[in-house]
Amino acid sequence: MNKTFEKIFAKAKSENRSCFVAFVTGMDPDYESSKQILIELSKYCDCIEVGVSFNTSTSDSSIIMGANDRAIKSGAKTEKIFKLIKQVKKNIESDTAFVTMGYLNQIHVYGIDRYINDCKKSGVDGCIVVDSNNEAPEDDKIFKGLTNNNMAFIKLIAPTNDSNYIKQSLKKSLSWLYIVSYAGVTGSKKVNINNVKKLTKLIRKQSKIPIGVGFGIKNYNDVKNVSKLADLVVCGSSIVEKIKEGNKKGLTNQNLAQFVGKYVRRLSEGVKN
Amino acid sequence: MKIPPFKEINAPDKLGYWTNKKTGETYGGQYISPLLIPNLKKVETGFKKAMKNKKFLADLEEQLVNHIGIVTPILRSKELEEIAGGEKKIGKIFLKRTDLHHDSSHKPVSAFSSVFFAKHILKAKKIITETGASMNARAVASACAKLNLSCEVHIGALDAEKVSLNKDITELYGADIKVCHDSTKSLLPAMAAALRSWQGDPTAMYVVGSVCGPHPYPLMVRTFASIIGRIAKKQMKDLIGKSPSTVFAVCGGGSNLSAISYPFYNEKSVDIFGIESAGKGIASGAHAATITSKAPIGILLGARSNVLMDADGQVDPSETEASGLDFSGTGPEICYMASTGRIKFRATTDKEAQETFLIMCKKTGILPAIEACYVIHAAIKEIKRRKNPKENHLIHLCGSGESNVGRMLKYKRNNE
Repeated sequence: MNKTFEKIFAKAKSENRSCFVAFVTGMDPDYESSKQILIELSKYCDCIEVGVSFNTSTSDSSIIMGANDRAIKSGAKTEKIFKLIKQVKKNIESDTAFVTMGYLNQIHVYGIDRYINDCKKSGVDGCIVVDSNNEAPEDDKIFKGLTNNNMAFIKLIAPTNDSNYIKQSLKKSLSWLYIVSYAGVTGSKKVNINNVKKLTKLIRKQSKIPIGVGFGIKNYNDVKNVSKLADLVVCGSSIVEKIKEGNKKGLTNQNLAQFVGKYVRRLSEGVKN
Repeated sequence: MKIPPFKEINAPDKLGYWTNKKTGETYGGQYISPLLIPNLKKVETGFKKAMKNKKFLADLEEQLVNHIGIVTPILRSKELEEIAGGEKKIGKIFLKRTDLHHDSSHKPVSAFSSVFFAKHILKAKKIITETGASMNARAVASACAKLNLSCEVHIGALDAEKVSLNKDITELYGADIKVCHDSTKSLLPAMAAALRSWQGDPTAMYVVGSVCGPHPYPLMVRTFASIIGRIAKKQMKDLIGKSPSTVFAVCGGGSNLSAISYPFYNEKSVDIFGIESAGKGIASGAHAATITSKAPIGILLGARSNVLMDADGQVDPSETEASGLDFSGTGPEICYMASTGRIKFRATTDKEAQETFLIMCKKTGILPAIEACYVIHAAIKEIKRRKNPKENHLIHLCGSGESNVGRMLKYKRNNE
């Protein structure tokens, strides 16, 4: 297991709570504001997923697509996301883990080896690659590269996946596994607790791997309910909407970070109850 | 006419890859969120089952013959022969009149087949699709109306404005049209939106309008569409006693190129040409010529293929007068065939296609789809260059141009 995640899980265990994970698109709405947001969020989050924008993503709702568009307009590039994470890590005191989340095309174009090297150099703790199918040759290469460099490959599992697919994903999951709570795009529905119950039960029978749950977790109560079942609770779309709201109000940098931070702080308290 | 049965002659491997053995490059595959993997497996298993189901294939063929009117004529075009320099210099030119299909393009063949497959094999209740020129939407909506399935169509906001006739017909057929305002507001984000919608509705089936998308779609769409080529090959044999010397078809995503050329893949004596839209010119950067412009390999909408994109992997918008060619990628099997050199590529500018449109109307009495004019222009150029009176040339006239009338009349009046 990746060392940062080891620390995070140990800390959460000692405090008898789940871990809180936030998703934001890197460089939304701009580099400096995004940097301040990530620094601020690191105070409340055990892990932050930093989205690497792709303008033709196939699994994101219009909320995340909008964030991708804002980030791309502000000059988001894979290289800059690494720079952003590196700078943020230098400026935080917590052990917050940083994970990149994106699509395979960006990694393919950047070069898989170069991507993994730059992840390592920037202090990235793991990667989520939404459209990297377990059977694709690139998936094996990313898994090996990340594992050899002590970073986590975080696989997604959907309620509709069969036992064979789950088994394949478990083999490549050495730090934690990400369960998608419903069949749909990010943030488009409410979290489906029944699906979460069924899937966590099924996985816990086969493995001791920590389980994260995401998709549709939009408020304090959702976080609280999911934290009873999951080791990590992931919030994305509602935080991204908060960034958009603050940005529309004309907030930038520290002001925007504090506006978003206040919201995330409340959300994150859900794992402590 | 007895239609020759389908024969697999260019199968991908079991993960859906075509591999160029010389370069080692792979095309195709299945790059998609785990949420869609079960949907794709269902389509894959169902497709294999369907291709072995004699009753399904016979019923489908009967519908394609009598409802779509798939046995369209092949017309020898003496007018185009004259334009190219005369039969004595360049040989004979034949037009495969796919424009005479029900709903006026090649699209109804794969669209109807896919919807028929969804209903009878997958027992789906709803179809989700995307469209550029709305030819595919119109065809899918028509099939859904006939087969009593609900139909959801995603269209880019810019395309929705550009081609109102096909969109209006789609609406009349009862489809629920969802206009997509994401990114470039064209076919590509519409396709992404359709995939996202399918992700939220596993009981529906997604119908792809071209030979693109994750495995098994490129394989399935070209297999269904290839009936056009099987018929054309037989018709040419009846007409001239052999296969043609050349086959020309336009290429956006690649469905109509696959449709007509697939049965000729193994016939080395047949030169196959795919024609792309050079838009305002390849050098201008405003085009849809993925292969001709040597676009790099990317992973787009579930498959490895050549993609118009920037150095960071963001997909660049394509630009062309023809909505049906306005796509930033090309289907994986076509990219593979281009990489081996089996299919040669040329590109026609918008201006050249528009001029060809007017010539076709005035000299041949045919109203072609603007998409077809890219291929006719390039074919005549190539035929003139070959200058071989012994040759027989087959051009795929892939659609009719009703929906282009408004813009083309404006073009004609502005340029007179």
